[in-house]
Amino acid sequence: MNTRSLRRFGALAFIIAFATAAHAAPVIIANKGLEKEKLDVATVKAVFLGKKVAWDVGGRVILAVIKTGPVADEFLKANVEMSSSGFNNLWRRLAMTGGGTAPKSFESEEDLRKFVAATPGAVGFVDSANVDASVVVLTPGA
Amino acid sequence: MNIDFRLTSACRRGTAFVVALGLIAGVARASISIENTNIQIGGFFSQGYLYSSDNNIPTADKGGTWDFREMAFNVSDTFGAHLRVGAQAFAQSFGEIGQDKVILDWAIADYNFNSWFGIRAGRVKYPKGLYGEALDLDVVRPFILLPESVYSPILRDFTASFDGAMIYGSVNVLKSSFDYKVFGGTIPVNPEKGVTDFYNDGGGLFAAPTGATSLKMDSVKGAQLVWNTPVNGLKLVGSYSFFTNLDAFGPFAGYPPVVLSTNIPKFSWITYSGEYSVGDWVFAAEWQRTGGDLLLAVPAIGYSGGEFIGWDGWYVSVSRRLGDKFQVGAYYGNNQVRTGYNSSNPADYQHDSAVSLRYDLNDHVLFKIEAHYIDGTYETFDTPRIPNPTPKKDTTLFAVKTTLSF
Repeated sequence: MNTRSLRRFGALAFIIAFATAAHAAPVIIANKGLEKEKLDVATVKAVFLGKKVAWDVGGRVILAVIKTGPVADEFLKANVEMSSSGFNNLWRRLAMTGGGTAPKSFESEEDLRKFVAATPGAVGFVDSANVDASVVVLTPGA
Repeated sequence: MNIDFRLTSACRRGTAFVVALGLIAGVARASISIENTNIQIGGFFSQGYLYSSDNNIPTADKGGTWDFREMAFNVSDTFGAHLRVGAQAFAQSFGEIGQDKVILDWAIADYNFNSWFGIRAGRVKYPKGLYGEALDLDVVRPFILLPESVYSPILRDFTASFDGAMIYGSVNVLKSSFDYKVFGGTIPVNPEKGVTDFYNDGGGLFAAPTGATSLKMDSVKGAQLVWNTPVNGLKLVGSYSFFTNLDAFGPFAGYPPVVLSTNIPKFSWITYSGEYSVGDWVFAAEWQRTGGDLLLAVPAIGYSGGEFIGWDGWYVSVSRRLGDKFQVGAYYGNNQVRTGYNSSNPADYQHDSAVSLRYDLNDHVLFKIEAHYIDGTYETFDTPRIPNPTPKKDTTLFAVKTTLSF
């Protein structure tokens, strides 16, 4: 491998590393009205599985999810212990059998964040790089 | 609620055209939410084709039938933090069963006090095994036909839902959780339903061509417990339910001018299930035992008698996703009569081996193809709607199906 090839390889490695860094980690965002809501790991799971439908501070849980992609995959695996397809199947099943109200589904994280900011009781997840002051970040306790 | 609404041939072609248009233009949408409300609407339409080489199984399909479709439309809304209401209309054509009549599949008011206690009342889906509440949902599985040994498609219109109430909830225990459901009510039943073919099978009880002319039942009660184990993706399920006083009346086969009345004081269903999802794989197995005494009476001639009826069924299945578009699956099911079982008599057992391939065109349109080899003739009916006067020991069954969901 000559010097020019090494430089190209180095540049490529930098781009890949930068792109990876640009995708940070998914975080839970919520409407500002839920700022005082206390979450633990089990509660997060219960919320996204449709078992907990009302917040302790009041109001109905309104779920917002990203349709597909690495953020959804990572969040669901870490917090719900399900794949994206498994999660989608669960909610299709609940919605079609009278078991629950399906989450609002979004193509883009920006649209999801705007929905959460504007909707009392709304909760969702986005990449941490896409959080702004219009929403609050909920961090589950132990 | 039964509304007589039958699709004409032209209507069927029109529906197929709409689906085709959806496939080509990609017009299908996700479940629809009404802007600035919590109202959601959804539904599905599926059309399939069944071809059986020899016996009419699981319905009248020898030589092929297009009478294999389901459609549903639902709407739901929420009120306040805890109350949800919704309903779904459903129609199916499964050979001669269903006839595209629109029925109320479920209609519920659900009040969820908290995650461990809620009440659901109205017409409620019947929890039984892994898939009892989702019998019609092609989108959640690779298979066209669920294993008949546990989910008889003939009984779909009978065991899909009940009128009554259910309490439910979920309780966390250490690193696992238990979901429970306890329910009670009754199931509207009439001679048009598939369960009637169990009574009319072979023509030994009720005289053809009418068969049983009236059916009724007192109640259904049951419970289900799901253990979401600490092992990620593994859940174990136990389901128990029973009917009381399931009665049927009709002309007695031995002497049609008089009425035969039958009574099943208690018919029970117990099902143990396990499902393990790991990566792209899903493994499942279920075992089911049913049974009850069938009492017979022909008051006009002073006859009374009875026998025990029931079956043991089980299956194992495996499926795997292949990328975003494909999923393959296979299962082997075994069903056998409980009393007097004789392994050399094909009428006493049914072994069903199936392989399936599913292709998702997009989030809303899918195609499936499936092949079965069925050995044995247990639950191969011989009725006016599903004739098998001389069933063969084995049969090959092919199915294709497409589903549009939104």
